[in-house]
Amino acid sequence: MSEGLVEALGLAVEYDGRRVIDGVSLRAEPGQVVAVVGPNGAGKTTLLRALAGLVAASGELRIAGADPRAASARTNARRRAYCAQKPVCAWDYRVRDLGEIVGAPDAYAECLTRLSLADLTDRRLTQLSGGEQKAAFLAMTFAALAEPFGAALLLDEPAASLDVARQALVAAEIRRFVQAGGTAIVATHDLSFARSCDLVVVLAEGRLTAAGDPSTALTPDVIAATWGASAQAEA
Amino acid sequence: MTATRATLAGLAGLAALVALALSVGAQGFGWGDGGAWALLRAPRVLAALAAGLALGVGGAAQQGVFRNPLADPGLTGVFGGALFGIALLLGVAPEAAWQRAWCLPAAAFAGALGTSALLVFCGRGGSSARLLLTGLGLNALTAAGTLVIASRSGESRELLTNGAYGDWLGMATFELTWLPILLCLAATLLLLPSARALDLLAFGEDAARGFGIDVSGARRDAVLLTALAAAAATCLVGQVAFIGLLAPHLARRIVGPRHAWALPGSAFLGAALLLGADTLGRGLWPQAPLSAAAVTAVLGAPLFIWIARGRHE
Repeated sequence: MSEGLVEALGLAVEYDGRRVIDGVSLRAEPGQVVAVVGPNGAGKTTLLRALAGLVAASGELRIAGADPRAASARTNARRRAYCAQKPVCAWDYRVRDLGEIVGAPDAYAECLTRLSLADLTDRRLTQLSGGEQKAAFLAMTFAALAEPFGAALLLDEPAASLDVARQALVAAEIRRFVQAGGTAIVATHDLSFARSCDLVVVLAEGRLTAAGDPSTALTPDVIAATWGASAQAEA
Repeated sequence: MTATRATLAGLAGLAALVALALSVGAQGFGWGDGGAWALLRAPRVLAALAAGLALGVGGAAQQGVFRNPLADPGLTGVFGGALFGIALLLGVAPEAAWQRAWCLPAAAFAGALGTSALLVFCGRGGSSARLLLTGLGLNALTAAGTLVIASRSGESRELLTNGAYGDWLGMATFELTWLPILLCLAATLLLLPSARALDLLAFGEDAARGFGIDVSGARRDAVLLTALAAAAATCLVGQVAFIGLLAPHLARRIVGPRHAWALPGSAFLGAALLLGADTLGRGLWPQAPLSAAAVTAVLGAPLFIWIARGRHE
């Protein structure tokens, strides 16, 4: 079996003595989009931050063959990029500034075009809608990994606050990234999007309750056990 | 081309301001006798320029580190800490304070660093309000400490009181100011390369670390250098609030919020504002000049209220 691009074994995170991620193991190969799903408070965001090496975690963890917790921030930045669910910015930068700040203005400009934001480059962030801001931050994250091969994208609710058209554009951008040899791990509440992914990981109360391809991980029984019977009807 | 023209216009404006500042003496405007303007006024002008550079860039750096446009080292207790450090040295070992050129700057740096460390420790992870309240508390504490020491030390009382009112520029001589001026320049030059880290810190700690910034290291460097800038500027002027607020605010308005431009822009505007305030205070009332700190407070306090009103926290 080939080496996974992202590998976690028995990953655990504690906040104030409480285990919010409890022994999660997962493995993502190059070319795969992995959906992390689960109810509110299941630990999706914490899992993504732990995989990115942004929060103290015990257990084994490897991204591109190396433990991000032992690598410098600069080295990690070449191996993975992380975009929060609700990105914030203290200063009112222009949209085009983000590419220069992240050190990849050309890749960022191309990504803005693909995400249908090319007309907004001279606007300030406060002049954008919430969805446009989120898309600009996502473009910044995509651009940061100028070489997708062997790198991992960790996206927390990338579709949140985006309209359906831009959700499709972002999904296409994620697929484009993994087709170039990267891996994307995406926390999402959107089970339709999760069904389009290569692998689904279901979390509940910090524990992995199901994992596999969408047809095996998102069965009616798993959905009912994770979200309740009403969700099963919705799904 | 526009940026080049703006830079040249700014430099020409600053040169005109320097000429104006050199022409203001105790009798009002005029060049005085012989070389008097050079011997008496040039150290004061150089000290105001250097301190203004440090205050402007220090304010922009502290605002970048705390992601807060109201984080002026003059309001968050860092300048107060620097003056308290000086007061402590003058109170405990007054004869040692003047033995070596580095004694007062070192005491000011220790005081500024102490308050910076407390500010980071008590204010981190909290809201803007928590940071500013912590800073205001530190400001009050260090001011009280300085006044207590001043009231107990007969010889240094006037000196420390003048320092608390930001009224030390009038004492500037080349002998007293050469080291703090060099330290102001060093702090300014060393803070400029932190522009990228400060740009990315704007997106929060996770994002900055995610994009490859050693957040702890960047914060530590910026806090240390801001403390150095505050200490060196305090040795030259005393306690001056609002330059660290006014200069970055105006710089971001003119050149945008990117720190590659905002840091040098804040340094430049800080120098121009402090020299302009000192010149205004001396030029309008030559017999009883207003301190630079009083003039900047008149300009800065309304701006502080205006910025605070615009924030949603």
